[in-house]
Amino acid sequence: MDFELNPEQGALLDAAETLLSRSAGTARAEQLVALYDAGEQSADGYDHDLERALNDAGFTGVALVDGMGPLEATLLTSAVARQAGCVSFGANAIVAAQLLGRTIDGPVALADTALPGPVRFAAQAVCLLVADGEQLRIIEAPATDLVDVDSNFGYPMATLPAELLAAGDIVEGVSAHRMRALWQLAASAEAVGCMQAALSFTIEYLKNRRQFGRSIASFQAVQHRLANCAVMVESARWLCAETAAHNAPAEAAAATATHTMEAATLLFDDTHQLSGAIGFTTEHALHHWTMRLQTLKLELGGAGAHALSLARLRWTDAEG
Amino acid sequence: MEFAWSKDDQEFRKDLVAFLESELPDDWQEISREGPGSDAQAEFSLGFCAALAERGWLTPHWPTEYGGNAAPSWSHAVLGEELWSRGEPRGPQYMNVNWIGPTIMEHGSDEQKALHLPAISEGRVLWCQGFSEPEAGSDLVALRTSAIADGDDYIINGSKIWTSYANHADYCFLLVRSDPESSRHHGLSVILLPMDSEGIEIREIPSVVGKRYFHELFFTDVRVPRSCLLGEEGEGWKVVSYSLQYERVGAPRYARATVTLDRLAELARQKGLLDDPTVAEKLGRARAACEAARVLSYRVIDQRAHGLPPSADTNVARIAGTRVDKLVGDLALELTGSSGLEAGTFANANFKLAMTAGVAVGATEVQLNLVASRMLGLPRE
Repeated sequence: MDFELNPEQGALLDAAETLLSRSAGTARAEQLVALYDAGEQSADGYDHDLERALNDAGFTGVALVDGMGPLEATLLTSAVARQAGCVSFGANAIVAAQLLGRTIDGPVALADTALPGPVRFAAQAVCLLVADGEQLRIIEAPATDLVDVDSNFGYPMATLPAELLAAGDIVEGVSAHRMRALWQLAASAEAVGCMQAALSFTIEYLKNRRQFGRSIASFQAVQHRLANCAVMVESARWLCAETAAHNAPAEAAAATATHTMEAATLLFDDTHQLSGAIGFTTEHALHHWTMRLQTLKLELGGAGAHALSLARLRWTDAEG
Repeated sequence: MEFAWSKDDQEFRKDLVAFLESELPDDWQEISREGPGSDAQAEFSLGFCAALAERGWLTPHWPTEYGGNAAPSWSHAVLGEELWSRGEPRGPQYMNVNWIGPTIMEHGSDEQKALHLPAISEGRVLWCQGFSEPEAGSDLVALRTSAIADGDDYIINGSKIWTSYANHADYCFLLVRSDPESSRHHGLSVILLPMDSEGIEIREIPSVVGKRYFHELFFTDVRVPRSCLLGEEGEGWKVVSYSLQYERVGAPRYARATVTLDRLAELARQKGLLDDPTVAEKLGRARAACEAARVLSYRVIDQRAHGLPPSADTNVARIAGTRVDKLVGDLALELTGSSGLEAGTFANANFKLAMTAGVAVGATEVQLNLVASRMLGLPRE
């Protein structure tokens, strides 16, 4: 048991953060959205440049490197999210890496046939991983005439037609349950990064924002809400790390996702409530993390569905 | 980062569980029903702790010179989990090993260490904690109970309140004002007070939590030798701050909540409710909260294992532990229905244990204040 980063992990995160501070960040996220909204030909809302940089530096495949594993991929997934990187890093570095034993050279989208509705990165993906009941399907180089839905919840997203999902090849020897557990971990790791950034951004804003002749952050009513947020974020962060270190056992992944998505509800509500009207504007960076939290919260059916799956895994023989 | 238990810890847990299965009597559920402060449990703890101590398992993480095995901090966490989840057969003695002993180790004189530490590590002494007063609750430093130096003695006057275990205790870890001119954090001292001293009166405060749960202590010209002073005179706040860091995560409430939840799920199954998604979802959410509290407690133990100074992570863990206790306590009543209102039932006992969680060891609001200032750096004004 050791919660401190070892030297290799420390160096890995430092290097990733250097890259991300150069190639990601909220200004970059804002730029991507602006190009996308302007209908720029090459702009599909996905940060292909960032993805290439992460691939070239070896970060995407970190879990497959000797001495590293899903824990390192999970720590990096949170780091990418803190810098508002709009890439499918977790789906690739955690889910694809563990399911396929390789990573994908391009965007990856995750879907579950039982959960219709828009899927993030569906139109951009060069690889779809689809949970279909008990089976896992893979669709590489899907026909990409999909059109994104009009949404500003932080990621480009499109609805996948049923015939496309059914067309995939079944991945033998890997169950859809395994994919869902890894997906729960990847979504949680990304949510943790978003929550950490949203909380520290809000704290800085509230320290500087003065009303009634004093810093808003000095009011106890405000402090208690921020402290409660910190408790939820810290616990989600450590649950993610522990679950990743054990390579996402089903029950641990379900517990992590349940708690993390509960935390996400609190973080969204409180960071916006405490920020006031400025928090809803695009000039204030908060939305880059919080709107994504809503998307992440809905994946795999959300906290309620994660909790149900956890209950089944722990107290019945079902597979979740 | 590494989240696996070491081989030694796993072995220890296995041996400990085997010991508990053979050592705890068949009527243990009956004995432990009223909580660690009950007569039955306090009495049981003396025999039980001696048996633990014989194996070196009462204070395994203590240095060998004080009766420990110098085992890593993690072995203490294993002990805490296995014992709390079984209703704490150490009775009030969990306080001795969690924070009273470590504080004496840090701040005590050689004489005090020789007097108290062997008694604690051999499991033959009971303690209580004298911090809160009628006018000093969350604002602990408003306390007024005084210990005034008089020659080679101190003379203690005043009162303490909410004191659990006072009726059984051999000693009280007493926080007093030794400088009558002082205020707030200044001029405080800690006295290791023998409870058989002349001039101490103990009154039970009847409560809805349980029998003999709370007491009030009255001190009238209680005379103790100066050798009872722990640490420097006037440095009591430093001593107590050290204690509180240990106390706040001393009792792994998540471990008991986890076991309780498993029993509740079994109960739901017997009632045919486990397939009901509203019930299953609540159980699942509570289970996730247990896991969250567990991992936060581990974070604190990890800092201790690394020799890092105490941090606000302790308060974070305490807040999460309290939350899960209340979640599970409420769920216990909800799932058992009105039969849980009957005294002595499983749901009743768990609800009672949970209902004080947010108030004991510093109210949740005080913990939140500490997280706000120490972890988040939020300004006071």
